[in-house]
Amino acid sequence: MPYTPHFVAVLFAAAVLAGFFGALLGVGGGIFIVPALVLMFQLPVKIAVAASLVSVIATSNAGGSSYVEQHITNLRLGMFLEVFTTIGALSGSVLALYLREWVMLMLFAALLLYMSWTAYITRHRDDQRIASGGYGSAAPDAWSRRLELSGRYHDQALDRPVEYVVNGSGIGASVSYLAGVASGLLGVGGGVLKVSAMNRYMNVPMKAAVGTSKMMIGVTAAVGSILFYLAGLIHFYIVAPVALGTTAGATVGTLVMNRLRSVVLKRIFAVLMLYLAYGMLVKALALRFHILLPSLGS
Amino acid sequence: MPTPPPNSPRLHEAPANVYKVVYSALLWGMVGSTVLFALGVLRALSQHLSISLGPAPHWGWTQTWTGLAHLDPTALMIAATVLLILTPVARVAVAFAAFAVDRDAKFTLVTGIVLAVIVLTVILGRLGLH
Repeated sequence: MPYTPHFVAVLFAAAVLAGFFGALLGVGGGIFIVPALVLMFQLPVKIAVAASLVSVIATSNAGGSSYVEQHITNLRLGMFLEVFTTIGALSGSVLALYLREWVMLMLFAALLLYMSWTAYITRHRDDQRIASGGYGSAAPDAWSRRLELSGRYHDQALDRPVEYVVNGSGIGASVSYLAGVASGLLGVGGGVLKVSAMNRYMNVPMKAAVGTSKMMIGVTAAVGSILFYLAGLIHFYIVAPVALGTTAGATVGTLVMNRLRSVVLKRIFAVLMLYLAYGMLVKALALRFHILLPSLGS
Repeated sequence: MPTPPPNSPRLHEAPANVYKVVYSALLWGMVGSTVLFALGVLRALSQHLSISLGPAPHWGWTQTWTGLAHLDPTALMIAATVLLILTPVARVAVAFAAFAVDRDAKFTLVTGIVLAVIVLTVILGRLGLH
């Protein structure tokens, strides 16, 4: 295959879009990259997944550094949840040896459908709770108090500081563990579940959840990438323009995210989770019952 | 700004030096890998290469260093990929060190566990778990 400026430019452009939306939503962008590489460039799935994993690190570094600089990322919370997500990723790799893939796909599809529905019905909740001070007046749980997980950030769209008290650490840690399992088992980043867990169960405003997840997904993707690298599955000439594109897209995305209202982010998020749930359901039905539904590129 | 109720904890963030070292680790990892990737792509385009989608060639460290000295595109992209992959791990390591310097025992332990799990996963991966 000739390595032409046109080939590099199209790969770069697709990656810019993935990096941009990944930064807006606190996810890796692999859900955009893998279908693009497979469908547009007819690349083998393994090469596409490896390139996507490395690009998740690129977008996490670019987005994460910006959100850390703006103090949108809650470092303590992110590092607390990383314990569960990395253990989840490790146990997901072990579970993959024993569990049937279609069962896990169905379970994650159901979880994503539920999260999508709750993100949509609570889409106005963030702005209302910020306005009423609800995020800052909740009672912390024991873990949150002991580890001082609560935080604050400056919301540019509302032009005001937002304080929040973290609670629900148990369920948040459990969902983060599941996000890690999904990552180890299914090769997805798990950012969607991490953002949902923080926002839905831990009293963390959407933007702080996005910023914290953005930093966290880099570690999960790094572990997977090391294994792909050692197995010789990373194709450097594909990875290079993809990583450059996601870095550029994520850099722009981080500048835009804090200027948007949370309701906009949650609408996009709900659609994204619905799309992911559908993709998993399609794969599960094909694997178990040989029912072929349109894949919508996922 | 809402006033936290009496049972609310003080809302304070991780120490500024932890934010600073984490930001620096992520930023320099991103800048370094971006420069190397960009150089690699430009060199590859200037040489009108054809690429194969077969298994990636294995390059040892000596070959990579020699390639870097000659601005070989493959060597540049390998170095960029390694730097990129190690950046989040380095971020956890510097946070571990920063929390230790601050004598924050709880978060030194938390980041230490994360580092240990990463190392364990890589070891198990090398043993063929994945």
